[in-house]
Amino acid sequence: MADGVRVVSRAVVASAVVALAVAAARARGLHIERELLVAAGRALLQLGAVALVVTAVFDQLGLSALFLLVMLAAASASAAGRWGNVARARARALAAIGAGAGTVLAVVFASGAFELQPRFLIPLAGIVIGGSMTATALAGRRLGEEVGDHVGTIEARLALGISARQALAPHISRAAVTALIPAIDQTKNVGLVTLPGAFVGMLLGGASPIEAAQVQLTVLFLLLGAESIAAIVATHLVANALIAPGERIELETQPPL
Amino acid sequence: MNPTVRPQPGRSHDRGRLVVEDLSLERGNRKLLDEVCAIFEPGVVTAIVGPSGAGKTRLLRCLNRLDEPTGGRVLLDGVDHRSIDPRQLRRRVGMIFQLPAVFAGDVRANLSYGLNDPDEEELVVALDAAALPAHLLGQEASTLSVGQAQRMCIARALLRRPECLLLDEPTASLDRDATTAVEQLVASLAGQDLAVVMVTHDLLQAARTADRALLLVAGRVAAVGPADEIQARWPTESAS
Repeated sequence: MADGVRVVSRAVVASAVVALAVAAARARGLHIERELLVAAGRALLQLGAVALVVTAVFDQLGLSALFLLVMLAAASASAAGRWGNVARARARALAAIGAGAGTVLAVVFASGAFELQPRFLIPLAGIVIGGSMTATALAGRRLGEEVGDHVGTIEARLALGISARQALAPHISRAAVTALIPAIDQTKNVGLVTLPGAFVGMLLGGASPIEAAQVQLTVLFLLLGAESIAAIVATHLVANALIAPGERIELETQPPL
Repeated sequence: MNPTVRPQPGRSHDRGRLVVEDLSLERGNRKLLDEVCAIFEPGVVTAIVGPSGAGKTRLLRCLNRLDEPTGGRVLLDGVDHRSIDPRQLRRRVGMIFQLPAVFAGDVRANLSYGLNDPDEEELVVALDAAALPAHLLGQEASTLSVGQAQRMCIARALLRRPECLLLDEPTASLDRDATTAVEQLVASLAGQDLAVVMVTHDLLQAARTADRALLLVAGRVAAVGPADEIQARWPTESAS
């Protein structure tokens, strides 16, 4: 009974913090109150549903794989939604997230570092798909902004007889690097500035700090690898979408008439 | 096809000759260019003039395929320019933009961009052709004045030995002295047997700089002829 009361009181306190964020956003006129509430509401529903689903599929590898496919599809739709008007955005985002998460998971399970069991597959895949989704969304969006901001310079390069891929190269690099800043900073500052999720979760769950640190390091390194691959693939694929036949750059925004 | 600017076959020197045949460009439901015909001869400076939104820049961008026309064609030395590798085409048909595009690094790096290690003499000759002193080579390009930067861009284009040079309002961001310097430079380019095509909204500038002018109105060719005659015929429509 005491545990039940504690769980409820934690939920109430966490909700109060969200309410505080909403109040602060409103006071500052940021107009993101609705987005904050929707994000919190979605997290509540989705995590609750996931807990139930994971419980159901925890012993069945086939169902787990199906569950991961659903995660991949949702992650692709979410990342593609951040890109603006990019042709076949979902397919491109799926390829980038799949490349990042798939490569890392293949290494982890093929090497035997973790057994291919649902209890390892689901949490690890969830983390790397989530990280890859963020990197993919940021990389594609940043590349679109870079190209929009520097279209004059890019066209000046094209006008000198440079290929569109070469003309975009500096912007592709910058977009990929920008997308990886959160992952790099998170890894660099772990323990100094931040105590990340897996570490905190394990400590709260009763594990020793050494065990928690081992798991957290594994997660961080997997994330770094997955996000790097996802960002590189995403920028490559979004660049392909921006290059039109005839070594041209095709943006939504056309130059002034 | 506009009868005033039909191609005239049988010219003796055709290198760098651009022929525009029934060129159209549509975006959505809008016709930005409507069956434009024109000829741009080597050794001749042609000004494309017209009011804002007439399609001047669009026409220029179609000449080196930065925009892809939806109808008609452009011939470079008698060859449909879509059959030429776009990178090769753009070296033969150079382009200067309204705002000078300065890349990172010094003037030498800017001039050499995309070239295989050009020798010093070539760089100095290109700078000289753009009326810039050789000592600028080592200067950080971002520290040039806007007028110098625009002339550096012209030098960079000339280094590719183009047959045609397109200029899109090249003096729009320059002060009076820098404008005069660029105008003199543009006028002198025809002497190098280049076909020079310059977009300007300023008919007086066209009269000062160009041998002939092509007046575009609402995406169509309204008149072709000596710039001062165009000025006399349409002084109020296109002098904005």
